[in-house]
Amino acid sequence: MVEIIFLTPFLTGILAFFLPKAVGRQLLVGTGAIHLFLSLLLWKNRPQAYFDGYFAVTPEGLLSLLVISLLFFLISIYTISYLEESGIQKENIFTGFMLLFLSTMTMVTLSDHIMVMWIAIEATTLASAPLIYTHRSSASLEATWKYILICSVGIAMALLGSVFITLAMDIGNVDAPLSFSSLTNVAKTLDPVWLKAGFVFILVGYGTKMGLAPMHTWLPDAHSEAPSPASALLSGVLLNCAYLGIFKTNKIMHAAGLNDFSGTILIVFGLISILAAATFILKQNEYKRMLAYSSIENMGIIAFGTGIGGIGVYGAIICMIHHSLIKSSLFLSSGNILLGYGDRYIKNTGDMVRRMPKTFVAFFGGFAGISGFPPFGIFIGEFFIIVGAFRTGHYIAAGIFILSLCVIFAGFANQVMKISFNSSSDDSGENLDSIKPIGLKEKASMVWPQYILLLTSLILCFYMPDTLYQTIIDAVAALGGGFK
Amino acid sequence: MILHPVDTILSLVLLSVLFSYGASRVPGLIMVVGFQGIVASMVPLFIGHDMTTGGIIFTFATLLIRGVIIPMSIYIAIKKVEIKREVEPIIGFHASILCGLGLIVAATFISRQLNIPSISEYTLLLPTAIALLVTGMFLLIARRNAIAMVLGYIMMENGIYLVGTTISVRARHIVEFGILLDILAGVMIMAIILQNIKRTFDDVDTAHLRTLKE
Repeated sequence: MVEIIFLTPFLTGILAFFLPKAVGRQLLVGTGAIHLFLSLLLWKNRPQAYFDGYFAVTPEGLLSLLVISLLFFLISIYTISYLEESGIQKENIFTGFMLLFLSTMTMVTLSDHIMVMWIAIEATTLASAPLIYTHRSSASLEATWKYILICSVGIAMALLGSVFITLAMDIGNVDAPLSFSSLTNVAKTLDPVWLKAGFVFILVGYGTKMGLAPMHTWLPDAHSEAPSPASALLSGVLLNCAYLGIFKTNKIMHAAGLNDFSGTILIVFGLISILAAATFILKQNEYKRMLAYSSIENMGIIAFGTGIGGIGVYGAIICMIHHSLIKSSLFLSSGNILLGYGDRYIKNTGDMVRRMPKTFVAFFGGFAGISGFPPFGIFIGEFFIIVGAFRTGHYIAAGIFILSLCVIFAGFANQVMKISFNSSSDDSGENLDSIKPIGLKEKASMVWPQYILLLTSLILCFYMPDTLYQTIIDAVAALGGGFK
Repeated sequence: MILHPVDTILSLVLLSVLFSYGASRVPGLIMVVGFQGIVASMVPLFIGHDMTTGGIIFTFATLLIRGVIIPMSIYIAIKKVEIKREVEPIIGFHASILCGLGLIVAATFISRQLNIPSISEYTLLLPTAIALLVTGMFLLIARRNAIAMVLGYIMMENGIYLVGTTISVRARHIVEFGILLDILAGVMIMAIILQNIKRTFDDVDTAHLRTLKE
């Protein structure tokens, strides 16, 4: 029974509200382990769902699900140490909503019905909003307010889009269940005008949640104000969940022969996001906001690749998997930096290579991965996307794409160098006293999750299990993607 | 042309839309949103294609929650914590009303062009839905009082509900259920945040929320 995989964290999440702190922490890791086990089982057996019309196991859903499980398990191990160090108030609320958040995200990956998908994505917003407000400062209050208002309005647009798709069925006289898989089968008979309208609204709606510019304004605030484990989840998997909604709708568009229309819109939104990230990343003075803008960039890359089609879709999926692995490790490392230096501004950090060597390795490795250095997966993904863009004749778009990536790399590298090597405050020797001592002992549980995430990403570049490769190929085949 | 009974009550909603552009105080706006919620949840009863008992009960539950419980609880909340009653317009009231009039004309014009077969006999349904949607967005953008923004959001959802439940029979109950869940949980969380905004800044003017930029 497929549904058990999101019901488990839902129940343990509710339980966590009433349990004492210590038990709640164990529950977090325990549920993470069970979830990982269940999703591996699901991956192997691929059973039918009990509520057949509402949930289904699809290749693209499986990919996201495995990423969610792995990330959540590693993040939950990190979270235990983080909670000990950071002294968050009302910890059971935090753990409870972490588990509910896991449950809702899992539901997104498994949902096949258009409306259930919408409900699940809206539920992720509601479950994650309290996580952003964990620190109870006025800035986190503002971030939560922005997050919930912008995302709710955005997702209301997606609902309107879903209604338009049902209208497209009515006008086309189609009698089929309202699920993505059955709609993809009958896509040719749907009314094209309302289908297009539906796609645009759904793209704007879920695009808001995915962090596509110009609807991205909530993202840097939410990611920088949330506690680092929650930021890692938001950036690593929540954005993918929203992308999944767009991906599945795009499948219908592709089956209906409207992929030129949907592709063009995706390319435009993707490029705007990459350009916006390039503009804002240059002058960031907070490292978590910098990482957030990098997420916007990567979501832009994914949307761009999906829009290009062909080999680009394959590249987009590769980028999505590696972005999740690397970016969540970066956010966890940024949690260490925040605890160590006690400050969110780049100018107040520095010399991390000597002061926090283990975190430095994780952070710098993550930086190398996310900015697309050759052996890492993001490089491979971006390479495929660029090849795809040239193949389909999008020369100008590819030019803008490459140029923006260079700008982002330069801006990102500049800031990371400052955090890692800048020793301006202690090379003169006189203001040595003003440097605060590092307030964090780098425990194994606070660096190994990052190492494992980065190693997984690295290994996937050289060796990809056949079943994983086949699942990606199955997923992109529906969008006409692949190596042909 | 004979007006359908649905159109008669919808014309009142259109009037209330105009009123909400001119409302300067939060309690008035709450009444308007409550009224719209009641009418929006009643409309499926009239257009009911095949009403089951369960469906009717569900519709009445929706009506109770959207039209009575949510507006009442917001009203009680603002009374309790002594929140300022002015909606703090960014765009003035006269300009707002003018916008509203223009919007209703535009909505009517667009609805004529769309020509959706399943609701073509209800002349005012689509214009009202569009007007509610856009007005909700307008309130979100053009008012600084956080409660007025939440009310704008609810108004938007009312508009979507009107379209979602009447345009297509197919997904009606799940649309109803989804929106209900959304509005209940969403408004609840918004209310909690509002309380905290009030406690932190001693006001619910969103002009205070300006520290995070870029």
